[in-house]
Amino acid sequence: MAGQKHDLDEKDMDTSDVSPFMPMFQGFRDELDQHQERRERIIKASRDITALSKKIIFSLQRVRHLQQPIPPPIAKETNTRYKSIQELFTTIAPDLQGINSWRYQKQISGGCQEFVEAISFQHYLETQRLLTHAEAQALIPGGVELTTDDYVLGLFDLTGELMRFGITNIATNGTLPRGTPAGEGSEGRDILMDLRAIRTHFESLDTSSGPNDFSYLKKDIQKKTEVMRESVGKVEYAAYGMIIRGRERPKGWVPDLNEGQDRGREPVESY
Amino acid sequence: MAGSRGMIDPAIFEQIQANIDDDSQLRDEVRNILQKRERQGRMTLSVLSRAHSVPAAERTVPRTSHIIATLNLQIVKEALKPARSSIDEQIQTISELGAMVSKYPYYKYNHLWTRHTQETIRSLIFGVWLGVYEPEQGTLLTIKEVGSSMNVPVDVKDRDVFHITTEEYLLALTDLIEELARLAVNSVTLGDFQRPLQISKFVKELHAGFQILNMKNDVLRRKSDGIKYSVKKIEDVVYDLSLRNLIPRNAS
Repeated sequence: MAGQKHDLDEKDMDTSDVSPFMPMFQGFRDELDQHQERRERIIKASRDITALSKKIIFSLQRVRHLQQPIPPPIAKETNTRYKSIQELFTTIAPDLQGINSWRYQKQISGGCQEFVEAISFQHYLETQRLLTHAEAQALIPGGVELTTDDYVLGLFDLTGELMRFGITNIATNGTLPRGTPAGEGSEGRDILMDLRAIRTHFESLDTSSGPNDFSYLKKDIQKKTEVMRESVGKVEYAAYGMIIRGRERPKGWVPDLNEGQDRGREPVESY
Repeated sequence: MAGSRGMIDPAIFEQIQANIDDDSQLRDEVRNILQKRERQGRMTLSVLSRAHSVPAAERTVPRTSHIIATLNLQIVKEALKPARSSIDEQIQTISELGAMVSKYPYYKYNHLWTRHTQETIRSLIFGVWLGVYEPEQGTLLTIKEVGSSMNVPVDVKDRDVFHITTEEYLLALTDLIEELARLAVNSVTLGDFQRPLQISKFVKELHAGFQILNMKNDVLRRKSDGIKYSVKKIEDVVYDLSLRNLIPRNAS
């Protein structure tokens, strides 16, 4: 009863027999306290996982070649961060077991999505393939469940990273990043082909059936589809700029990322 | 990897689509069942709200007498009897819902129906308090009793099943308190001067319980912060009665 307030105004109400319902409420207090503690631990871990994942993505953006192991200096940076993320997941894993795995979904979701973005980016750089849900889940320790929602939304954000990666490569190497050929006589795929493939798959997702109420996934997918389209458009426009002005390109020239966007919109407004 | 040269394993998006479809279908089904529960809920509320009014014939009876107050109570209880079957229907619907969602993680969809279970709990505990079920009235159903009345587990920690959450029960209690504050006022209008005293004691006991909870900024906090206004409203009624010597002598 240490935390009880004594502002009840009746004389006989300042002791523990203040109310016959007290034992039940003491149970509630313990339960709510535990709930809040778990919740806060998860929020904190999720925030840290997000920050670390962002740093990993930053490091990975310095990679210049597809389908090759991550260069050791970069891998060294990312590996320490992966290790910290693993530890964070392991720390909160007990809070996310069984029935609680979905209870705190909203709290852990941010960290999971950013982590998927980081690992799927790395996976793409190394293998030029899209990370599967099962592969992503395998990288999260302690039995913390990766929901389909977080996996999908992480992949959406991946397209933004691929856009940045593609454009940086055009700017520095003057070419689109391209994978190694799969066999004799064939060319490796370039990043634009991959981005278009992702776009096609995402756009073919049907989110129209059923009620929309409280379906965060549907709402987020609709929002992120728009951003994803813009990302693909930016790389398309950068590729166009590379072809048309490539030879005149001064060393260190960086395409204006907004240029393509404005160009695409202008006619709509002026006609 | 040599076998499939594409970047994307098609199974990835097939699985995502299957997931979205499954999700939509369940939401549809849940929504249908909740519409049924809403109809039943409105029925229950319209019956229970009779507690605030008295049959027209009763208005001619002289007030202030303790006997009349007891008589009034009997009449009210008679008028409220239909609430029983309608509350039972709600409970039945909630258990259908529980069966429907049993194979999904509980908290994945809990937000779809939490308001509905909360309303059903509220009707049940208000009904019990009014004496709809038992001859005795003025009693509080504990969360365990709510669980056994509704045949739904409570206080679930170790398994992922449909249940009543502590938050739902507590929110139902805050609704009950608001309802009782209104009843305290209306009881006086009906000539029942004893009931406000009973309500006052009961609500203070509940309020004391809520005061030991450590709240965070959420809906439960907002609702439980509102309890003090109900307490004040009830105290004002009791004050008005005692000021005018209208409190029945045998009342505690």
